[in-house]
Amino acid sequence: MIRYPSSLIFFVILFTGISLYQIKHSITKKEIELTQIKNNIKSAQSNINILKAELSYLKRPDRIEKIALEKLGLREILPTDIWNINDLVNATNILSNGENK
Amino acid sequence: MKIFNFFNLDLSKQNQSKFRKIKLLICSLLLIMSFTIIGYRTISLASINKEDVSNKAYAEIENEPNLKSLRGNIYDRNNKILATTISTLSLNVNPQEILNLDQTITKLIKIFPQLKEKDLYKRLNSNKRHINLLKEISPREYVNLLNAGIEGLKIETKNKRIYPNNTLASHILGATDIDGNGIAGIEKMFDSQLQGGRDVTLSIHSGIQHIIRKLLLNQIKKFEAEGGAGIIMNAKNGEVLSSVSLPDYNANNYNSVLNEKLFNKATKGIYELGSTLKLITAAIAFESNLINENDVFDVSKPLKVSSRIINDFHPLNYAINIPEVIVHSSNIGSAKIAEKFGSSTQLKYLKSLGLLSKLSLEIPELGKPQVLIDKKVLSTMTISYGHGISITPMHLASATATIVNSGVKVNPTLIKGKIDKKNEVIISNKTSIKIKSIMRLVVSNEYGTAKKAEAPGYLIGGKTGTAEKINPSGGYSKKENIVAFTGAFPMNDPEFILTIMIDNPKGQKFSFGRRTAGWVAAPIVKKIVTRIAPILGVNPQLESSSKFSNNLLNYKIRGKNYGANL
Repeated sequence: MIRYPSSLIFFVILFTGISLYQIKHSITKKEIELTQIKNNIKSAQSNINILKAELSYLKRPDRIEKIALEKLGLREILPTDIWNINDLVNATNILSNGENK
Repeated sequence: MKIFNFFNLDLSKQNQSKFRKIKLLICSLLLIMSFTIIGYRTISLASINKEDVSNKAYAEIENEPNLKSLRGNIYDRNNKILATTISTLSLNVNPQEILNLDQTITKLIKIFPQLKEKDLYKRLNSNKRHINLLKEISPREYVNLLNAGIEGLKIETKNKRIYPNNTLASHILGATDIDGNGIAGIEKMFDSQLQGGRDVTLSIHSGIQHIIRKLLLNQIKKFEAEGGAGIIMNAKNGEVLSSVSLPDYNANNYNSVLNEKLFNKATKGIYELGSTLKLITAAIAFESNLINENDVFDVSKPLKVSSRIINDFHPLNYAINIPEVIVHSSNIGSAKIAEKFGSSTQLKYLKSLGLLSKLSLEIPELGKPQVLIDKKVLSTMTISYGHGISITPMHLASATATIVNSGVKVNPTLIKGKIDKKNEVIISNKTSIKIKSIMRLVVSNEYGTAKKAEAPGYLIGGKTGTAEKINPSGGYSKKENIVAFTGAFPMNDPEFILTIMIDNPKGQKFSFGRRTAGWVAAPIVKKIVTRIAPILGVNPQLESSSKFSNNLLNYKIRGKNYGANL
C-alpha cells in the first residue's frame, strides 16, 4: 500500500527530474543560440570592418582631391578668400603691394 | 524521540517488531540522504554560475574585449581608418579528393580566369594532399565556388592587416608580420594594445599628411633630389599632424619594399641641418645675458680658427647685430656669438632642448643625434651654424616649437590628446619674443634668406639652412647639399611648426643653378601653408594689425648696400 507522503515524494522527484531535464535542454539550446549570435556578431563585425576599410579607401585624400579638382572644379582657398572683415579695407592695398614686389 | 529509544533498546531480547523498526529507520535515513543529495544536485545544476568553466560562452558575452578578436584599428585624428584587419579567404585543394580532374579544372577556370589550364593540370595531378591555389579570393568568387560544388576544395579564413590609404603615413604606421605581430612603427610600439583589440588614435591628420607628401614630392622631382622629410607639429602641445619621409612605400607591400624606402628620414635619419641651428645660437645668446640685440660683430673678413676658415655665403663688409646675423645667415657672426657664450653654455642648452638624445616619440625608428663634444672653440663655432651636429628633422621641429612656445619645452607625440604634464621652461618668454620677431624677418624682410616662403596673411617665420652633405668615406661633399627650413605660423602667436628637409637637390635652369634652401625649401613652405592654413583654422591677418605689433618686436635690418656707403 502506497502512503500519501511517499506518493508526494515520488511526484516531487518526478517533477524535479523533468524540470531539471528541461532546464538543461533549454540551457543547451541557449548556448547554441549564443554561439550562433556570437558567430553572427563576428561575421557582422568582419563585414563592418571591410566596409569601413572600403569607405576609407574611397575617402583617400588623393582621390578626394582629384574629384574636387577634376569633377567639381574646386580650387584651393587663397588668403584673399577668407579675410577678416575688419582687415578687408587694408588687405587689398597690402596684397597688391606685395604682388608688385 | 525514536532515535533516543532506539539506543535504549535491549538487543539481547531480539524482538521482531523492534528489528523492523530499526530497518525502517535505517531505510528512512538512507532515503532522506538520497533526497538531500538529489535536491542539492538539482539546485546546483539548475542555477547558472558565471564563474563556472563550463559556461565559458556566458563569460565571453559579459567580457567585451574577448568578443572583438581582431587586431585593433589605427585611426587618424579625425577617426579615419589608417590600418584595419579584415578576414580574407584563401583557396586550397586536396588533389587526392578530386574525382574528375578535367571537369574540376574547367569549373575553376570559369570562376578564376587568371588560373592557367596547363599549370592547374600540373599542380592538381600530384600526390600532395594540400595545395594553395589562390592566397585571396573575393566573397563573390567564394559564392560561385559553393554553387559550382567542386570536390576537394578547402576554403581557409585568414586575418589580413590592410592600410586603405596605401602610401599615406606608411613610415609612421609600420607593419605586422605574417602572424599579426607588429614589427615596425606604431604597429610595433602599440602591439600589445592592438593585439588586445583596442584601437589607437594618432595625432596625424590624413589630409595634411597628403598635402605635405604631394608638395614635397613635387619639389623633390623638380630639383632631382634623393628624398626629403616634412613635419607639421602643433606648437603648443607637440602633436604631430604630419610626418612625411620620402621616398616612401605602399604600407600593404611592406615585405617587398627596399630598405632604402623603409628608412624614416623624418625621425631616424640624422643630418647636419646647417643654418637652421642659428636660431638656437641666437636664443642661447639672449638667454645667457652676455649679448644683447645691439651688440655688433664684424663679419667683413673670413674668420680663421685653427686650420679652418669660416666664410659667409652672403658677405657683408660691416659689423652686424644678432637679428642681422640671423636674417643674412652669417656663419662668421654666428661663430663669434658662440665664442662669447662658450661650449658649456651651448651644450647645456642643446641638452635641455633635447638635441643630444633620442626623442621620446611613439615609434621605434628614432635616430640618436651625433654632436662633436670636444669643447674646442672651433667645434663650438661650427655647431653654432649647424656643422658638427647631426639631428633628425623631428629634433629640429621640436626645438623650434620649444623656442616659439614661450620657451616651454614641447615634446613631440604621435598620439592624439596625450597630455604632457611637465612644464619645463628652457628659455624665457622675453627671449622667445626676440627669436620669433627675427624668424618673421627672415621671411618678410627683403634681405631675408626665406623670402620665397612668404605667404601673404599667414605671417610665416623661420630659418633656412643649407649644409654640405657628409661623405660616407669622411669629410664633406662640395657637390651635395642638405637643405632645410624650420619655422612656425602665424608668428605673432605660433600655432603650428613646419620643418622641411630635402636631401641632395640639384641646381636647375629655373633656379639659375642654385640649390640652396632659399630656392629649394622656402617656396614649398609658402605652398604648404597656403594649402593647410584654412584646414587648420588659421585665418589670414594683417601684419599691421595691433595684435601683431603688440606681440613682436621690430628690428631694423641693413642690407648689402649699407656697406657700400661706409
